[in-house]
Amino acid sequence: MSSVAGIPFVNLSAQHRALKDDLLSAVARVLEHGQFILGPEVAEFERQFAEFCGVRYAIGVGNGTDGLTLALRALDIGAGDEVITAPNSFMSTTSAIVMVGARPVMVDSADDLNIDVTQIEAAITPRTRAILPVHLTGRPADMGPLMTIARAHHLHVIEDAAQAVGAAYGGCAVGSFGTIGCFSFHPLKTLNACGDGGMLTTDDSQLNDRLRVLRNVGLKTRDDCIEWSGNSRLDTVHAAMLLVKLPYLDTWIAQRRAHASEYCRLLADLPQIQLPAERPHERAVYHTFVILAERRDALSAFLASRGIRTAIHYRVPIHLQPVARRLGYDRGAFPVTEQQADRILSLPIYPELTRHDLAYVAAVIREFYTRSSA
Amino acid sequence: MTVPYSYLDRQFSDIDAYLDDIRQVVQAGDFTLGAAVERFEEQFAALTGLPHAVGVGSGTDALILPLRALGIGPGDEVITPPNTFVASVAAIVMVGAKPVFVDNNDEYTIDVNQLDAAITPRTKAVLPVHLTGNPADMPAITHICERRNLAIVEDAAQAILAAIDGKHVGSWGAAAGFSLHPLKNLNVWGDGGVVVTRSAAMRDKLRLLRNHGMATREDIHIWGANSRLDSVQAVVALRLMSQVRDITDRRIANARRYDRSFADMSDVITIPRRRPNVCQVFHTYVILVSERDRLLQRLLERGVRAKVHYPVPLHLQPAASGLGYKPGDFPVCEAHCRSMLTLPVHQHLTSQEIDSVAGEVRRFYGR
Repeated sequence: MSSVAGIPFVNLSAQHRALKDDLLSAVARVLEHGQFILGPEVAEFERQFAEFCGVRYAIGVGNGTDGLTLALRALDIGAGDEVITAPNSFMSTTSAIVMVGARPVMVDSADDLNIDVTQIEAAITPRTRAILPVHLTGRPADMGPLMTIARAHHLHVIEDAAQAVGAAYGGCAVGSFGTIGCFSFHPLKTLNACGDGGMLTTDDSQLNDRLRVLRNVGLKTRDDCIEWSGNSRLDTVHAAMLLVKLPYLDTWIAQRRAHASEYCRLLADLPQIQLPAERPHERAVYHTFVILAERRDALSAFLASRGIRTAIHYRVPIHLQPVARRLGYDRGAFPVTEQQADRILSLPIYPELTRHDLAYVAAVIREFYTRSSA
Repeated sequence: MTVPYSYLDRQFSDIDAYLDDIRQVVQAGDFTLGAAVERFEEQFAALTGLPHAVGVGSGTDALILPLRALGIGPGDEVITPPNTFVASVAAIVMVGAKPVFVDNNDEYTIDVNQLDAAITPRTKAVLPVHLTGNPADMPAITHICERRNLAIVEDAAQAILAAIDGKHVGSWGAAAGFSLHPLKNLNVWGDGGVVVTRSAAMRDKLRLLRNHGMATREDIHIWGANSRLDSVQAVVALRLMSQVRDITDRRIANARRYDRSFADMSDVITIPRRRPNVCQVFHTYVILVSERDRLLQRLLERGVRAKVHYPVPLHLQPAASGLGYKPGDFPVCEAHCRSMLTLPVHQHLTSQEIDSVAGEVRRFYGR
């Protein structure tokens, strides 16, 4: 196996090199009409995104975190309310709940790294208003049983689909299950803006109307402020560039899925690592490709020494972050999440990787475990 | 005659330089809090003469984040004027505090003489607005706030380069929030904002609050949202930094030209006092006029895109119904909202265009 120059964890410039001319032309067109705020490209991208997700409405917002906050606010969730969510996620899943004044109530993870639906009912109290599952790594949470529980207890479901655009469960796209779905177009996402951006999805026309007011400082018209709210709009220039990229999304997802299955094929016989095992009714989009690895930190260092960059999503579960101390969870509160946190490792998975790159990564992992067992 | 309110097509008619800068950002993939943002922050701080600037997602967030950094929240009151853009008030509500209004003065800023009476034991801060680009009376406000131990967050969204006695706005408060919205004097291609502060501790807290509270991913000590100035917007702002003084000078010259045209019309037009020690930057040119709605209609018919900032005082907006105010509570602001008129004043208007707008106004009154 010949060595390669190095495999970075992400490679944004490769994607943008190919699309550069189209992206810049899209920006130039925005400049020509000058409608930088909620211009026609935002409306068009919202229309196409809603169609992609199979929902009636999509509302562009400033970023994925604001999307979660606006979703909670649109459902009047605030002080005194509880929202059930997962401790294994990016911070903003929980911080959005805190920011609206509600209390995050966490439930441990299952072996798919997502919320363990068998433990949700035990966490429901009279104050629970919503369940906020995360489709972490781009793999859908177990939405079938989760929706059954939500219906039985009259709870809203807000999907954190920040990492999961294009993922599906039982043939339905994520973002189409809950009352509101929340997406991120952060530059490292599968469908990525050249800056911060986000999108909300819903089938409810009243929520659609309210979210449009909430993202735009509470203004129904220029002079009619019907409720106080902040400013969180998807920039027209970002929407214009996302419109250039959206037609490629299915291809990019297919490439990520092909890479994932190639990793799985190459690494299947290694007992020291556990690979993501997509179930038949799931379509994961592999925003990240996360394995559970024995001696994770040593493996990560070994890969780095061979020019392969990896990452950990996320090293510290949210309930163990210093800021979460007041939520009252100690170490041991979520044993599965905590065990996973010590073993998870994200391998490079972007579309621009070659089969050769993947084979090299797999070979170096194999070498690590062969050496250490010798 | 057509005198448009927006001028973006004229301002960015030569777009290649901007696109080159954006191309570099796109090529590098350096989209989030990268080198361009840091360079812009340094230059913006230098422009204001203040030590620290922090780029954020919008002008609204440039008020929310300082309020949050000061620990202002539920149970607290923040004093602000009722004639301003909705975001000044929304920022207070968004952190969970209660907005308390104090009437405007005849310069459209907060009436300092009424400030003391509005302060209660729950008051934590005053949020003066430098409306139209005209600084509020910061020395007087500072005097009161020091005596009453209140923080000041300056709403400088419209006031880049505005100054009193040569001191840039933002020099008085714990922090000041500026907007880089496409229609502002320093305008990017979407939403953007920047906060300036004299305090390194405030700067550090703002940097955390704009980025999920993250010092590092492994060690998060405060809850924070996401409110970052995009790198693609920072490169646009950087290119405009060299132009902003010229932009401001042209706006000031246009405003003075209007002032001179209307100087003999005090029976129908009230021009706010122009204090010699104050630099007003004329984000908007606002006068009080008789028969406002008819004049506005006439101007629109003649192709002059005049506007009203703002026709409905914030205490009378539907959103304010829970705050307990009623018509008549702020008579100065309410009278202004009935007679205020905004004439186009932007830097791309020529002297001839200013004169023809002024001529339309004069003709309306038979002068």
